[in-house]
Amino acid sequence: MEILEKVIEIVAETCEVDRSEVTGDSTVGDFPAWDSMGHLSILNNVEEAFDISFEPEEMMELEDVNDIVKAVEEKLA
Amino acid sequence: MTIEHLIQRHAANSPERIALIEGDVEVSYAALWSNICRAAAWFAARAGRGDRVVLSASKSAGFVYAYFGAHLAGLIAVPIDSETNATRLRRIVDVARPRFVIGELRYGEGLTVVPFDQMVAEPAADFALPDEADVADLLFTTGTTGLPKGVTLTFANQMAAATSINEFIGNSADDVELLALPISHSFGLGRLRCVLSKGGTVVLLGSFASMKRFYAAMDAHGVTGFGMVPASWAYLHKMSGERIGEYADRLRYVEIGSAFMSEADKRLLMRLLPATRICMHYGLTEASRSAFISFHDEEAHLTTAGRPAPGVEIAVYDEQGQPVARGAEGEVCVKGAHVCSGYWGCAVEDFRRDFNGEYFKTGDWGYLDADGYLHLVSRKKELINVGGKKVSPIEVEEALNELEGIRESAAVAMHDDVLGEVVKAYVVCDAPVDTDAAKRALSRRLENYKVPVAIEVIDALPRTANGKLQRLLLADK
Repeated sequence: MEILEKVIEIVAETCEVDRSEVTGDSTVGDFPAWDSMGHLSILNNVEEAFDISFEPEEMMELEDVNDIVKAVEEKLA
Repeated sequence: MTIEHLIQRHAANSPERIALIEGDVEVSYAALWSNICRAAAWFAARAGRGDRVVLSASKSAGFVYAYFGAHLAGLIAVPIDSETNATRLRRIVDVARPRFVIGELRYGEGLTVVPFDQMVAEPAADFALPDEADVADLLFTTGTTGLPKGVTLTFANQMAAATSINEFIGNSADDVELLALPISHSFGLGRLRCVLSKGGTVVLLGSFASMKRFYAAMDAHGVTGFGMVPASWAYLHKMSGERIGEYADRLRYVEIGSAFMSEADKRLLMRLLPATRICMHYGLTEASRSAFISFHDEEAHLTTAGRPAPGVEIAVYDEQGQPVARGAEGEVCVKGAHVCSGYWGCAVEDFRRDFNGEYFKTGDWGYLDADGYLHLVSRKKELINVGGKKVSPIEVEEALNELEGIRESAAVAMHDDVLGEVVKAYVVCDAPVDTDAAKRALSRRLENYKVPVAIEVIDALPRTANGKLQRLLLADK
Protein backbone atom coordinates (compact mmCIF):
# COMPACT_ATOMS: atom_id res chain seq x y z
CA MET A 1 0.00 0.00 0.00
CA GLU A 2 2.84 2.37 0.87
CA ILE A 3 4.45 1.73 -2.50
CA LEU A 4 1.19 2.54 -4.30
CA GLU A 5 0.85 5.79 -2.31
CA LYS A 6 4.43 6.79 -3.09
CA VAL A 7 4.10 6.03 -6.84
CA ILE A 8 0.83 7.98 -6.98
CA GLU A 9 2.56 10.90 -5.27
CA ILE A 10 5.43 10.80 -7.80
CA VAL A 11 3.03 10.65 -10.76
CA ALA A 12 0.88 13.50 -9.37
CA GLU A 13 3.90 15.74 -8.75
CA THR A 14 5.52 15.04 -12.11
CA CYS A 15 2.27 15.52 -14.03
CA GLU A 16 1.21 18.54 -11.98
CA VAL A 17 -2.16 17.08 -11.11
CA ASP A 18 -3.95 16.51 -7.84
CA ARG A 19 -3.25 13.18 -6.15
CA SER A 20 -6.95 12.36 -6.24
CA GLU A 21 -6.81 12.33 -10.05
CA VAL A 22 -4.26 9.50 -10.08
CA THR A 23 -5.35 5.89 -9.65
CA GLY A 24 -3.75 2.51 -10.14
CA ASP A 25 -5.07 2.49 -13.70
CA SER A 26 -3.68 5.91 -14.64
CA THR A 27 -1.43 5.41 -17.63
CA VAL A 28 0.97 7.18 -19.95
CA GLY A 29 -0.93 9.78 -21.98
CA ASP A 30 -3.71 10.24 -19.37
CA PHE A 31 -2.41 13.69 -18.37
CA PRO A 32 -0.93 16.20 -20.78
CA ALA A 33 2.39 16.18 -18.90
CA TRP A 34 2.56 12.36 -18.95
CA ASP A 35 4.29 12.33 -22.33
CA SER A 36 7.59 10.61 -23.10
CA MET A 37 9.58 13.15 -21.11
CA GLY A 38 7.12 12.94 -18.23
CA HIS A 39 7.27 9.15 -18.37
CA LEU A 40 11.07 9.18 -18.13
CA SER A 41 10.91 11.59 -15.18
CA ILE A 42 8.38 9.37 -13.41
CA LEU A 43 10.51 6.27 -13.90
CA ASN A 44 13.67 8.13 -12.82
CA ASN A 45 11.93 9.45 -9.72
CA VAL A 46 10.62 5.99 -8.88
CA GLU A 47 14.12 4.52 -9.30
CA GLU A 48 15.53 7.17 -6.98
CA ALA A 49 12.75 6.96 -4.40
CA PHE A 50 13.13 3.19 -3.98
CA ASP A 51 16.85 2.99 -4.83
CA ILE A 52 16.30 0.50 -7.64
CA SER A 53 16.93 0.51 -11.39
CA PHE A 54 14.95 -0.82 -14.34
CA GLU A 55 16.38 -2.56 -17.41
CA PRO A 56 15.12 -1.42 -20.88
CA GLU A 57 13.17 -4.66 -21.38
CA GLU A 58 11.45 -4.09 -18.02
CA MET A 59 10.77 -0.40 -18.74
CA MET A 60 8.73 -1.13 -21.83
CA GLU A 61 6.23 -3.05 -19.70
CA LEU A 62 5.77 -0.17 -17.26
CA GLU A 63 2.84 1.78 -18.62
CA ASP A 64 0.43 2.42 -15.79
CA VAL A 65 0.67 3.01 -12.05
CA ASN A 66 -0.15 -0.63 -11.25
CA ASP A 67 2.64 -1.88 -13.58
CA ILE A 68 5.12 0.38 -11.81
CA VAL A 69 3.96 -0.66 -8.33
CA LYS A 70 4.21 -4.35 -9.25
CA ALA A 71 7.73 -3.89 -10.66
CA VAL A 72 8.86 -2.02 -7.53
CA GLU A 73 7.42 -4.74 -5.30
CA GLU A 74 9.29 -7.41 -7.26
CA LYS A 75 12.56 -5.47 -7.03
CA LEU A 76 12.22 -4.96 -3.30
CA ALA A 77 11.11 -8.53 -2.56
CA MET B 1 -0.09 21.92 -57.98
CA THR B 2 -0.97 21.80 -54.28
CA ILE B 3 -1.09 19.03 -51.65
CA GLU B 4 -4.90 19.45 -51.57
CA HIS B 5 -5.07 18.84 -55.33
CA LEU B 6 -3.06 15.61 -54.93
CA ILE B 7 -5.34 14.38 -52.12
CA GLN B 8 -8.39 15.09 -54.26
CA ARG B 9 -6.77 13.15 -57.10
CA HIS B 10 -6.04 10.13 -54.86
CA ALA B 11 -9.68 10.24 -53.66
CA ALA B 12 -10.84 10.12 -57.30
CA ASN B 13 -8.35 7.49 -58.52
CA SER B 14 -8.04 5.24 -55.48
CA PRO B 15 -11.11 6.01 -53.33
CA GLU B 16 -10.85 2.80 -51.27
CA ARG B 17 -7.19 3.20 -50.38
CA ILE B 18 -6.66 3.93 -46.66
CA ALA B 19 -5.42 7.45 -45.94
CA LEU B 20 -5.61 7.60 -42.14
CA ILE B 21 -5.79 5.15 -39.27
CA GLU B 22 -6.70 6.41 -35.82
CA GLY B 23 -7.20 3.65 -33.24
CA ASP B 24 -9.66 1.17 -34.75
CA VAL B 25 -10.94 3.63 -37.35
CA GLU B 26 -9.69 3.50 -40.93
CA VAL B 27 -10.41 6.45 -43.21
CA SER B 28 -10.27 5.91 -46.98
CA TYR B 29 -9.13 8.63 -49.37
CA ALA B 30 -12.75 9.05 -50.51
CA ALA B 31 -13.90 9.57 -46.90
CA LEU B 32 -10.92 11.83 -46.18
CA TRP B 33 -11.78 14.10 -49.09
CA SER B 34 -15.48 14.11 -48.21
CA ASN B 35 -14.69 15.11 -44.60
CA ILE B 36 -12.27 17.79 -45.78
CA CYS B 37 -15.09 19.22 -47.94
CA ARG B 38 -17.48 19.13 -44.96
CA ALA B 39 -14.98 21.01 -42.80
CA ALA B 40 -14.45 23.48 -45.66
CA ALA B 41 -18.23 24.04 -45.84
CA TRP B 42 -18.28 24.66 -42.07
CA PHE B 43 -15.59 27.31 -42.42
CA ALA B 44 -17.08 28.89 -45.55
CA ALA B 45 -20.40 29.39 -43.74
CA ARG B 46 -18.75 31.19 -40.84
CA ALA B 47 -15.59 32.93 -42.05
CA GLY B 48 -14.11 34.78 -44.97
CA ARG B 49 -11.10 34.08 -47.17
CA GLY B 50 -7.84 35.02 -45.47
CA ASP B 51 -9.28 34.61 -41.96
CA ARG B 52 -7.02 32.71 -39.58
CA VAL B 53 -7.94 29.58 -37.66
CA VAL B 54 -5.85 28.24 -34.77
CA LEU B 55 -5.75 24.42 -34.86
CA SER B 56 -4.32 22.14 -32.24
CA ALA B 57 -4.09 18.40 -31.57
CA SER B 58 -1.57 15.69 -30.83
CA LYS B 59 -3.36 13.04 -32.92
CA SER B 60 -6.75 13.38 -34.49
CA ALA B 61 -8.32 12.64 -37.84
CA GLY B 62 -10.54 15.66 -37.08
CA PHE B 63 -7.44 17.83 -37.13
CA VAL B 64 -6.59 16.57 -40.62
CA TYR B 65 -10.10 17.39 -41.93
CA ALA B 66 -10.09 20.86 -40.31
CA TYR B 67 -6.56 21.65 -41.51
CA PHE B 68 -7.12 20.86 -45.18
CA GLY B 69 -10.76 22.04 -44.97
CA ALA B 70 -9.59 25.47 -43.77
CA HIS B 71 -7.22 25.62 -46.75
CA LEU B 72 -9.97 24.67 -49.17
CA ALA B 73 -12.26 27.39 -47.78
CA GLY B 74 -9.48 29.98 -48.25
CA LEU B 75 -8.55 30.31 -44.57
CA ILE B 76 -5.04 30.42 -43.16
CA ALA B 77 -4.25 27.58 -40.74
CA VAL B 78 -2.32 28.41 -37.57
CA PRO B 79 -1.25 25.00 -36.17
CA ILE B 80 -0.03 25.16 -32.56
CA ASP B 81 1.05 22.71 -29.87
CA SER B 82 -1.84 21.61 -27.65
CA GLU B 83 0.47 22.22 -24.66
CA THR B 84 1.09 25.89 -25.58
CA ASN B 85 1.25 27.88 -22.33
CA ALA B 86 -1.23 30.66 -21.57
CA THR B 87 1.20 33.56 -22.18
CA ARG B 88 2.39 32.29 -25.55
CA LEU B 89 -1.16 31.39 -26.54
CA ARG B 90 -2.31 34.92 -25.74
CA ARG B 91 0.51 36.40 -27.82
CA ILE B 92 -0.26 34.12 -30.76
CA VAL B 93 -3.94 35.08 -30.57
CA ASP B 94 -2.98 38.78 -30.35
CA VAL B 95 -0.83 38.57 -33.46
CA ALA B 96 -2.89 36.16 -35.59
CA ARG B 97 -6.34 37.44 -34.52
CA PRO B 98 -7.95 34.12 -35.43
CA ARG B 99 -11.64 33.80 -36.27
CA PHE B 100 -11.69 30.38 -34.55
CA VAL B 101 -9.66 28.32 -32.15
CA ILE B 102 -10.28 24.63 -32.83
CA GLY B 103 -9.17 21.40 -31.23
CA GLU B 104 -7.49 20.47 -27.97
CA LEU B 105 -5.76 23.09 -25.84
CA ARG B 106 -4.55 22.56 -22.29
CA TYR B 107 -4.43 26.27 -21.45
CA GLY B 108 -7.35 27.48 -23.52
CA GLU B 109 -9.23 29.17 -20.65
CA GLY B 110 -10.88 32.39 -21.72
CA LEU B 111 -11.00 31.27 -25.37
CA THR B 112 -13.92 29.67 -27.16
CA VAL B 113 -12.43 26.39 -28.32
CA VAL B 114 -14.50 24.56 -30.93
CA PRO B 115 -14.23 20.73 -30.96
CA PHE B 116 -13.32 19.04 -34.26
CA ASP B 117 -16.48 16.91 -34.47
CA GLN B 118 -18.68 19.97 -35.10
CA MET B 119 -17.01 20.47 -38.45
CA VAL B 120 -17.86 17.21 -40.13
CA ALA B 121 -21.56 17.55 -39.26
CA GLU B 122 -21.83 20.11 -42.06
CA PRO B 123 -23.03 18.88 -45.50
CA ALA B 124 -20.12 18.77 -47.95
CA ALA B 125 -19.87 21.32 -50.75
CA ASP B 126 -17.59 21.75 -53.75
CA PHE B 127 -14.68 24.15 -53.54
CA ALA B 128 -12.08 25.43 -55.94
CA LEU B 129 -8.57 24.16 -55.16
CA PRO B 130 -6.23 26.62 -53.44
CA ASP B 131 -4.05 29.01 -55.40
CA GLU B 132 -0.33 28.17 -55.11
CA ALA B 133 0.61 31.75 -54.27
CA ASP B 134 -1.83 32.06 -51.34
CA VAL B 135 -0.75 31.71 -47.74
CA ALA B 136 -1.60 28.25 -46.42
CA ASP B 137 -0.17 28.29 -42.92
CA LEU B 138 0.99 30.76 -40.33
CA LEU B 139 3.55 29.05 -38.07
CA PHE B 140 4.82 30.67 -34.92
CA THR B 141 8.52 30.30 -34.20
CA THR B 142 10.12 30.45 -30.80
CA GLY B 143 11.52 33.91 -31.46
CA THR B 144 14.73 35.01 -29.76
CA THR B 145 13.08 38.36 -29.13
CA GLY B 146 10.65 36.54 -26.84
CA LEU B 147 7.72 37.49 -29.02
CA PRO B 148 6.56 34.68 -31.26
CA LYS B 149 7.11 35.46 -34.93
CA GLY B 150 4.56 34.28 -37.49
CA VAL B 151 6.11 32.61 -40.53
CA THR B 152 3.86 32.54 -43.59
CA LEU B 153 4.09 29.49 -45.82
CA THR B 154 2.33 29.45 -49.17
CA PHE B 155 0.80 26.40 -50.84
CA ALA B 156 3.75 26.54 -53.27
CA ASN B 157 6.23 26.49 -50.33
CA GLN B 158 4.56 23.40 -48.89
CA MET B 159 4.37 21.61 -52.21
CA ALA B 160 8.05 22.35 -52.91
CA ALA B 161 9.04 21.02 -49.48
CA ALA B 162 6.94 17.85 -49.80
CA THR B 163 8.28 17.15 -53.30
CA SER B 164 11.87 17.59 -52.17
CA ILE B 165 11.43 15.40 -49.08
CA ASN B 166 9.60 12.64 -50.96
CA GLU B 167 12.28 12.66 -53.63
CA PHE B 168 15.08 12.34 -51.09
CA ILE B 169 13.43 9.70 -48.90
CA GLY B 170 11.78 7.86 -51.78
CA ASN B 171 8.24 7.64 -50.37
CA SER B 172 5.56 5.87 -52.38
CA ALA B 173 1.81 5.13 -52.24
CA ASP B 174 2.63 1.76 -50.65
CA ASP B 175 4.07 3.37 -47.54
CA VAL B 176 2.37 3.10 -44.16
CA GLU B 177 3.81 5.71 -41.86
CA LEU B 178 3.51 5.67 -38.08
CA LEU B 179 3.07 9.30 -37.02
CA ALA B 180 4.22 9.35 -33.41
CA LEU B 181 5.08 13.05 -33.65
CA PRO B 182 2.42 15.55 -32.54
CA ILE B 183 0.32 16.28 -35.62
CA SER B 184 0.11 20.04 -35.05
CA HIS B 185 3.93 20.43 -34.88
CA SER B 186 5.65 21.46 -38.08
CA PHE B 187 7.62 18.18 -38.36
CA GLY B 188 4.55 15.99 -37.81
CA LEU B 189 2.43 18.12 -40.11
CA GLY B 190 5.19 18.02 -42.72
CA ARG B 191 5.24 14.20 -42.57
CA LEU B 192 1.44 14.13 -42.94
CA ARG B 193 1.61 16.31 -46.08
CA CYS B 194 4.41 14.17 -47.55
CA VAL B 195 2.62 10.83 -47.10
CA LEU B 196 -0.84 12.06 -48.17
CA SER B 197 0.60 13.77 -51.24
CA LYS B 198 1.96 10.35 -52.31
CA GLY B 199 -1.28 8.52 -51.56
CA GLY B 200 0.20 6.54 -48.66
CA THR B 201 -1.29 5.70 -45.26
CA VAL B 202 -0.70 7.60 -42.02
CA VAL B 203 -1.25 5.86 -38.68
CA LEU B 204 -1.94 8.56 -36.06
CA LEU B 205 -0.25 7.83 -32.73
CA GLY B 206 0.71 11.35 -31.60
CA SER B 207 3.41 10.39 -29.13
CA PHE B 208 6.31 8.03 -28.46
CA ALA B 209 5.34 7.91 -24.78
CA SER B 210 3.86 4.40 -24.84
CA MET B 211 6.36 2.00 -26.40
CA LYS B 212 3.78 -0.80 -26.13
CA ARG B 213 1.39 1.16 -28.32
CA PHE B 214 4.21 2.12 -30.69
CA TYR B 215 5.18 -1.51 -31.35
CA ALA B 216 1.55 -2.67 -31.34
CA ALA B 217 0.81 -0.14 -34.11
CA MET B 218 3.91 -1.29 -36.04
CA ASP B 219 2.66 -4.89 -35.85
CA ALA B 220 -1.01 -4.16 -36.56
CA HIS B 221 -0.58 -1.94 -39.62
CA GLY B 222 2.57 -3.19 -41.34
CA VAL B 223 4.32 0.13 -40.83
CA THR B 224 7.07 0.89 -43.37
CA GLY B 225 8.47 4.13 -41.92
CA PHE B 226 8.29 6.82 -39.27
CA GLY B 227 9.67 10.21 -38.31
CA MET B 228 11.36 11.07 -35.04
CA VAL B 229 13.66 13.58 -33.37
CA PRO B 230 16.97 12.46 -31.82
CA ALA B 231 15.38 12.61 -28.35
CA SER B 232 12.70 10.14 -29.53
CA TRP B 233 15.49 7.75 -30.49
CA ALA B 234 17.14 8.16 -27.07
CA TYR B 235 13.74 7.42 -25.48
CA LEU B 236 12.97 4.50 -27.80
CA HIS B 237 16.36 2.97 -27.07
CA LYS B 238 16.15 3.51 -23.32
CA MET B 239 12.64 2.08 -23.11
CA SER B 240 12.89 -0.84 -25.51
CA GLY B 241 16.59 -1.56 -25.98
CA GLU B 242 17.32 -2.96 -29.47
CA ARG B 243 13.80 -4.17 -30.23
CA ILE B 244 13.45 -1.81 -33.21
CA GLY B 245 15.96 -4.11 -34.95
CA GLU B 246 13.26 -6.79 -35.17
CA TYR B 247 11.51 -4.53 -37.70
CA ALA B 248 14.59 -4.07 -39.90
CA ASP B 249 13.12 -6.04 -42.81
CA ARG B 250 9.98 -3.98 -43.14
CA LEU B 251 11.13 -0.44 -42.21
CA ARG B 252 11.95 1.22 -45.51
CA TYR B 253 12.72 4.66 -44.09
CA VAL B 254 13.13 6.74 -40.95
CA GLU B 255 13.27 10.53 -41.08
CA ILE B 256 15.06 12.25 -38.21
CA GLY B 257 14.47 15.90 -37.32
CA SER B 258 17.18 18.49 -36.92
CA ALA B 259 18.80 18.50 -33.49
CA PHE B 260 22.08 17.20 -32.14
CA MET B 261 22.49 13.42 -32.44
CA SER B 262 25.76 11.76 -31.46
CA GLU B 263 27.68 9.73 -34.02
CA ALA B 264 27.43 6.74 -31.65
CA ASP B 265 23.61 7.00 -31.68
CA LYS B 266 23.62 7.26 -35.48
CA ARG B 267 25.83 4.17 -35.79
CA LEU B 268 23.70 2.20 -33.35
CA LEU B 269 20.59 2.95 -35.40
CA MET B 270 22.46 2.00 -38.60
CA ARG B 271 23.50 -1.34 -37.06
CA LEU B 272 19.93 -2.12 -35.98
CA LEU B 273 18.39 -1.03 -39.30
CA PRO B 274 21.03 -2.02 -41.88
CA ALA B 275 18.77 -1.82 -44.94
CA THR B 276 16.55 1.12 -43.95
CA ARG B 277 16.96 4.51 -45.59
CA ILE B 278 17.74 6.54 -42.45
CA CYS B 279 17.58 10.23 -43.36
CA MET B 280 18.24 13.21 -41.16
CA HIS B 281 17.26 16.72 -42.14
CA TYR B 282 18.48 20.17 -41.30
CA GLY B 283 15.99 22.99 -41.42
CA LEU B 284 14.04 25.65 -39.60
CA THR B 285 10.45 26.85 -39.63
CA GLU B 286 11.24 29.40 -42.34
CA ALA B 287 12.97 26.83 -44.53
CA SER B 288 12.12 23.29 -43.49
CA ARG B 289 14.33 20.45 -44.75
CA SER B 290 17.08 22.57 -46.30
CA ALA B 291 19.66 19.79 -46.14
CA PHE B 292 19.51 16.00 -45.92
CA ILE B 293 21.87 13.17 -45.17
CA SER B 294 21.21 9.46 -45.68
CA PHE B 295 23.25 7.65 -43.01
CA HIS B 296 24.03 4.43 -44.89
CA ASP B 297 24.73 6.11 -48.23
CA GLU B 298 26.85 8.91 -46.79
CA GLU B 299 28.55 7.14 -43.92
CA ALA B 300 31.80 9.06 -44.38
CA HIS B 301 29.94 12.31 -43.63
CA LEU B 302 27.94 11.30 -40.55
CA THR B 303 29.11 14.26 -38.50
CA THR B 304 27.74 16.74 -41.05
CA ALA B 305 24.21 18.03 -41.66
CA GLY B 306 24.38 16.58 -45.16
CA ARG B 307 24.02 18.23 -48.55
CA PRO B 308 21.36 20.62 -49.84
CA ALA B 309 17.97 18.92 -50.24
CA PRO B 310 16.71 18.42 -53.83
CA GLY B 311 15.90 21.85 -55.31
CA VAL B 312 17.68 23.72 -52.51
CA GLU B 313 20.92 25.71 -52.67
CA ILE B 314 23.05 26.55 -49.64
CA ALA B 315 25.65 29.31 -49.45
CA VAL B 316 27.70 30.69 -46.57
CA TYR B 317 28.03 34.45 -46.06
CA ASP B 318 30.14 36.61 -43.76
CA GLU B 319 28.58 39.21 -41.49
CA GLN B 320 29.08 41.89 -44.13
CA GLY B 321 26.84 39.92 -46.47
CA GLN B 322 29.64 38.63 -48.73
CA PRO B 323 29.86 34.96 -49.77
CA VAL B 324 32.85 33.22 -48.20
CA ALA B 325 35.23 30.69 -49.75
CA ARG B 326 34.56 26.94 -49.47
CA GLY B 327 35.68 25.77 -46.04
CA ALA B 328 35.39 29.19 -44.40
CA GLU B 329 32.86 29.71 -41.62
CA GLY B 330 29.95 32.11 -41.81
CA GLU B 331 26.18 32.31 -41.64
CA VAL B 332 24.39 29.46 -43.38
CA CYS B 333 21.95 30.83 -45.99
CA VAL B 334 19.46 28.88 -48.10
CA LYS B 335 17.64 29.40 -51.37
CA GLY B 336 14.71 27.41 -52.73
CA ALA B 337 10.99 27.34 -53.40
CA HIS B 338 10.47 26.03 -49.83
CA VAL B 339 11.68 29.28 -48.17
CA CYS B 340 8.77 31.06 -46.45
CA SER B 341 7.01 33.93 -48.18
CA GLY B 342 7.29 36.37 -45.27
CA TYR B 343 6.53 37.15 -41.65
CA TRP B 344 2.99 37.94 -40.59
CA GLY B 345 2.44 41.66 -40.22
CA CYS B 346 5.99 42.41 -41.34
CA ALA B 347 6.65 44.73 -44.32
CA VAL B 348 8.29 43.12 -47.35
CA GLU B 349 11.36 45.37 -47.07
CA ASP B 350 11.85 44.30 -43.44
CA PHE B 351 11.50 40.63 -44.41
CA ARG B 352 14.07 41.12 -47.17
CA ARG B 353 16.63 42.14 -44.51
CA ASP B 354 16.71 38.47 -43.55
CA PHE B 355 18.23 37.69 -46.95
CA ASN B 356 21.60 37.95 -48.65
CA GLY B 357 20.39 38.41 -52.22
CA GLU B 358 18.13 35.42 -52.84
CA TYR B 359 19.54 33.47 -49.89
CA PHE B 360 17.61 33.40 -46.62
CA LYS B 361 19.75 33.87 -43.50
CA THR B 362 19.17 30.92 -41.16
CA GLY B 363 20.96 32.38 -38.15
CA ASP B 364 23.07 29.22 -37.97
CA TRP B 365 26.84 29.31 -38.18
CA GLY B 366 28.80 26.80 -40.23
CA TYR B 367 30.70 25.98 -43.40
CA LEU B 368 30.53 23.85 -46.53
CA ASP B 369 33.41 21.39 -46.97
CA ALA B 370 35.20 20.42 -50.18
CA ASP B 371 32.55 17.74 -50.89
CA GLY B 372 29.70 20.20 -50.43
CA TYR B 373 28.63 18.88 -47.02
CA LEU B 374 27.26 21.35 -44.51
CA HIS B 375 28.96 21.49 -41.12
CA LEU B 376 27.06 23.33 -38.39
CA VAL B 377 29.47 24.92 -35.94
CA SER B 378 27.14 26.68 -33.54
CA ARG B 379 23.79 28.31 -33.44
CA LYS B 380 23.96 31.98 -33.93
CA LYS B 381 20.52 32.06 -32.49
CA GLU B 382 20.34 31.04 -28.88
CA LEU B 383 17.29 28.80 -28.81
CA ILE B 384 17.47 25.81 -26.51
CA ASN B 385 16.39 22.52 -28.06
CA VAL B 386 14.91 20.31 -25.34
CA GLY B 387 14.24 16.97 -26.97
CA GLY B 388 13.04 18.62 -30.17
CA LYS B 389 10.98 21.28 -28.41
CA LYS B 390 12.41 24.76 -28.90
CA VAL B 391 12.69 27.00 -25.88
CA SER B 392 13.27 30.72 -26.14
CA PRO B 393 15.71 31.85 -23.44
CA ILE B 394 13.77 35.12 -23.19
CA GLU B 395 10.58 33.36 -22.18
CA VAL B 396 12.35 31.57 -19.32
CA GLU B 397 14.16 34.77 -18.30
CA GLU B 398 10.95 36.81 -18.25
CA ALA B 399 9.39 34.28 -15.88
CA LEU B 400 12.52 34.18 -13.69
CA ASN B 401 12.81 37.97 -13.51
CA GLU B 402 9.33 38.20 -12.05
CA LEU B 403 10.37 36.18 -9.02
CA GLU B 404 11.16 37.95 -5.75
CA GLY B 405 14.88 38.60 -5.28
CA ILE B 406 15.96 37.99 -8.87
CA ARG B 407 17.32 41.09 -10.59
CA GLU B 408 18.19 39.55 -13.93
CA SER B 409 18.78 36.18 -15.51
CA ALA B 410 20.06 34.32 -18.54
CA ALA B 411 18.82 30.96 -19.79
CA VAL B 412 21.15 28.77 -21.82
CA ALA B 413 21.38 25.23 -23.14
CA MET B 414 23.04 22.53 -21.05
CA HIS B 415 23.93 19.13 -22.54
CA ASP B 416 21.73 16.21 -21.55
CA ASP B 417 22.33 12.61 -22.63
CA VAL B 418 18.68 11.86 -23.35
CA LEU B 419 17.10 15.15 -24.36
CA GLY B 420 20.14 16.60 -26.16
CA GLU B 421 19.75 19.89 -24.36
CA VAL B 422 17.98 21.09 -21.23
CA VAL B 423 17.57 24.59 -19.82
CA LYS B 424 20.08 25.98 -17.34
CA ALA B 425 19.63 29.44 -15.85
CA TYR B 426 22.08 31.92 -14.36
CA VAL B 427 20.58 34.51 -12.02
CA VAL B 428 21.82 37.71 -10.44
CA CYS B 429 20.06 38.34 -7.13
CA ASP B 430 19.18 41.34 -4.96
CA ALA B 431 18.35 39.10 -2.02
CA PRO B 432 19.06 35.46 -1.16
CA VAL B 433 17.06 33.19 -3.47
CA ASP B 434 16.09 29.57 -2.83
CA THR B 435 16.74 28.06 -6.25
CA ASP B 436 14.55 25.00 -5.59
CA ALA B 437 11.64 27.27 -4.65
CA ALA B 438 12.33 29.28 -7.81
CA LYS B 439 12.10 26.10 -9.92
CA ARG B 440 8.79 25.20 -8.29
CA ALA B 441 7.46 28.70 -8.92
CA LEU B 442 8.50 28.46 -12.58
CA SER B 443 6.81 25.09 -13.00
CA ARG B 444 3.51 26.85 -12.36
CA ARG B 445 4.19 29.36 -15.13
CA LEU B 446 6.00 27.37 -17.81
CA GLU B 447 5.70 24.00 -19.47
CA ASN B 448 7.83 21.36 -17.69
CA TYR B 449 10.50 21.20 -20.37
CA LYS B 450 11.07 24.96 -20.14
CA VAL B 451 11.76 24.94 -16.40
CA PRO B 452 15.53 25.15 -15.77
CA VAL B 453 17.06 21.88 -14.59
CA ALA B 454 19.71 23.91 -12.77
CA ILE B 455 19.78 27.50 -11.52
CA GLU B 456 23.13 29.01 -10.61
CA VAL B 457 23.57 32.32 -8.79
CA ILE B 458 26.31 34.53 -10.25
CA ASP B 459 27.52 38.12 -9.60
CA ALA B 460 26.92 39.55 -13.05
CA LEU B 461 25.81 38.49 -16.54
CA PRO B 462 28.27 38.82 -19.42
CA ARG B 463 27.30 41.66 -21.73
CA THR B 464 28.76 43.37 -24.78
CA ALA B 465 29.92 46.99 -24.65
CA ASN B 466 26.45 47.88 -25.92
CA GLY B 467 24.82 46.00 -23.07
CA LYS B 468 23.62 43.04 -25.15
CA LEU B 469 23.43 39.86 -23.11
CA GLN B 470 26.01 37.26 -24.24
CA ARG B 471 24.25 34.00 -23.48
CA LEU B 472 26.60 31.86 -25.51
CA LEU B 473 29.50 32.78 -23.19
CA LEU B 474 27.51 31.25 -20.34
CA ALA B 475 26.57 28.20 -22.40
CA ASP B 476 30.27 27.53 -23.03
CA LYS B 477 31.07 27.50 -19.32
